[in-house]
Amino acid sequence: MTEPPLYFELPGSLKGKKFFSKIEKKLLLQITGQHYAIKTFYDTFDWRLYRAGVVAEHIHSKDVSQFNLINRKTGRLLASDSLETAPNFAQQFSSQALKSILLPIMEMRALLQVSHLPLEIYRANILNKDEKTVLRLQLDDYESLSGRIHLLPLRGYGKSLNKVAAVLQSDLSVKPASCSVLPEALQLQGREVKDYSSKFSLKLKPDMRADQAAKLIFKTLLADIKLNEANTITDVDTEFLHDFRVAVRRTRSGLNQIRGALPETAVKKYSEFFAWLGQITSLTRDLDVYLLSYQDYRGVLPIAMQDDLEPLYAFLKEKQIKAQKNLAERLVSAKYQKGLIEWEEFLNKQVSKKAKANQGNLSIKALADQRIWKVYCKLMSEGGVIDDQSPPESLHDLRKTCKKLRYLLEFFQSLYDETEMKTLIKALKGLQTVLGDFQDYEVQENNIKTFSQEMMENHVGGNAILAMGVLIQHLDAKKRDAREHFSDQFAGFANQDIKRIFEKLFFRKKV
Amino acid sequence: MKIIASYNIKGGVGKTSTAVNLAFLAASHQHNTLVWDLDPQGASSYYFRVKPKVKGGGKKLISGRRELDGVIKATDFEYLDLLPADFSFRNLDLALDANKKPTQRLKRLLKPLADEYDYVFLDCPPNISLLSEAVFEASEVLLSPIIPTTLSLRTLEQLKKYIKDKQLSHLQLMPFFSMVDNRKKMHKEMMQTVVEKHPEILAASIPYASDIEKMGLERMPLGAFMQKGRSLLAYQSLWTELMEKME
Repeated sequence: MTEPPLYFELPGSLKGKKFFSKIEKKLLLQITGQHYAIKTFYDTFDWRLYRAGVVAEHIHSKDVSQFNLINRKTGRLLASDSLETAPNFAQQFSSQALKSILLPIMEMRALLQVSHLPLEIYRANILNKDEKTVLRLQLDDYESLSGRIHLLPLRGYGKSLNKVAAVLQSDLSVKPASCSVLPEALQLQGREVKDYSSKFSLKLKPDMRADQAAKLIFKTLLADIKLNEANTITDVDTEFLHDFRVAVRRTRSGLNQIRGALPETAVKKYSEFFAWLGQITSLTRDLDVYLLSYQDYRGVLPIAMQDDLEPLYAFLKEKQIKAQKNLAERLVSAKYQKGLIEWEEFLNKQVSKKAKANQGNLSIKALADQRIWKVYCKLMSEGGVIDDQSPPESLHDLRKTCKKLRYLLEFFQSLYDETEMKTLIKALKGLQTVLGDFQDYEVQENNIKTFSQEMMENHVGGNAILAMGVLIQHLDAKKRDAREHFSDQFAGFANQDIKRIFEKLFFRKKV
Repeated sequence: MKIIASYNIKGGVGKTSTAVNLAFLAASHQHNTLVWDLDPQGASSYYFRVKPKVKGGGKKLISGRRELDGVIKATDFEYLDLLPADFSFRNLDLALDANKKPTQRLKRLLKPLADEYDYVFLDCPPNISLLSEAVFEASEVLLSPIIPTTLSLRTLEQLKKYIKDKQLSHLQLMPFFSMVDNRKKMHKEMMQTVVEKHPEILAASIPYASDIEKMGLERMPLGAFMQKGRSLLAYQSLWTELMEKME
């Protein structure tokens, strides 16, 4: 037998009292509570909780203030705690049950309010002829949405659940509904769930003119820059700046890679502007990364030395605060605003009938074929000559080429077979990880050396410098590890299967 | 999971009221609690307004062909469930006897519920029988209400001897005075004499009171229909003392 639904949506006209007067004609019922409340939904900016199947809601009323985590599909309560207000970060929750669910999902992201709903909550018991409660019922009577009923079955009274579910549907025309009203609540604000993702996603038509398609790509990236801008300035969490920078980097790479599709003067002007944006955001991001890695840094030290590293945290934090302040000032500066407005105006300007740039008249598919094939060939030739004796610079150059290829594959993903593109991106990702690790460990090693010198000049105690020395050794070992893995990863990418897909999708014989 | 039996060889001494009210108190402290109404008269089931009916009857339940899990009913109170009585429970002795190791049977049947419940209260029928032996094997605590009369004193002695003879060393016998009428001189005197002889008797005692009788009209535990009162306080003291002794 199929399980009866537990959640129902009332027709818009059927409000609290009216519902109960109707249902009382069919069932023996006792209202046990009624109170006004505000329901606030929370998630991270990139919807990590929703994507993980969790809905976070805070119910606030005169007597109760409860933070609940609910399974989005079943409505099951996963964890709950009495909280006056929800903290910003997962690690700030005092309830272990909430923290253990939230931390692996949210990581470093902040919890943001996504919607408020005022409502009247009614609780009632459905009774049998002995006046024994056989089912509990909750009616959430929203001011701006149709009411929702939640049936709470009681053990051993499955038949009563079936009966009530049937009465609701047949006699009161109440329809089964999903357990959360979050999507409907967002609709009221003209929003929808998962309306932000840091992944690049854009559908292009293969025969679209290259200059037109290029503008569409840049508009998508500009939207990401603008979406992350305000919270980057206020430093809500580190990932706003991260996503802001990714969109800037993608724009820079795009301007460089598909430069032929746009007028040269514009490419030159905006390349300079985005290079400046990349440069003014980089110090804060680097410091964010060190602070985010701080627990890992501690973890690599012997337990007895871990606390010795504390001065490094204080040092980094102080620097980060200063850098963030500078960054915030730059992001409200006239230079920034003027640059971004002009860029937006340029993107919004209709393309002329005949493109001004050499490659502007090509179809975007033809341009994508050319660019991807060219960068792929460059990557293969650069990677093919790297051996154990090659200098670190050769790996850094290859990393940059990989990044260029990755952005191109992402920009133009919609023009090609989805599965084949995913295979290519996955293969490239493996190679990028090892090259990224190599670069990161090297940069971290060098920077921590610099920090330790600076700290010594500031007369920070010897134990901290000693602990940083151990950390530098560890980073150096990790860097060498990454270096050793390079040849395997490159071989994995350079294999015939991957090559065949690249050839099939992008190689065009010159006519 | 702690299993507590409410038992006396004699009937009408307040066994059901003890099981029902203590279980209610346990649940009100957010302990997952189950009452198993083993008495075919079904008084506990009545107090919780649950029909005294078990599909397949006692025989299927005891043989294990029907799991306890499937016949448990939620009461009207959070954290408190009931395994209702059935008229066929009058033959539980026969049902037990049809199994191997009959005295171990209840213990085995309750084992799968260990993760689900913190406390199980067994509301037992009177008499010493195969069922009571199985109850003693399964339980950690034997809560035994005694009315302060000469006859009750004799049954307590019988019970102590029985536990000793059967070497039920795991079982903590906790007798306490029940249905105490403070106006009766005889009750007061008896209580003094008995305590001297049986120091294991708990300090908490339950008065003879009309509000306990009212449970039958209200069909719910005391705490569910009254906020305060002598009887309620008495059960609270009994619960506190029980918790202390069990630690």
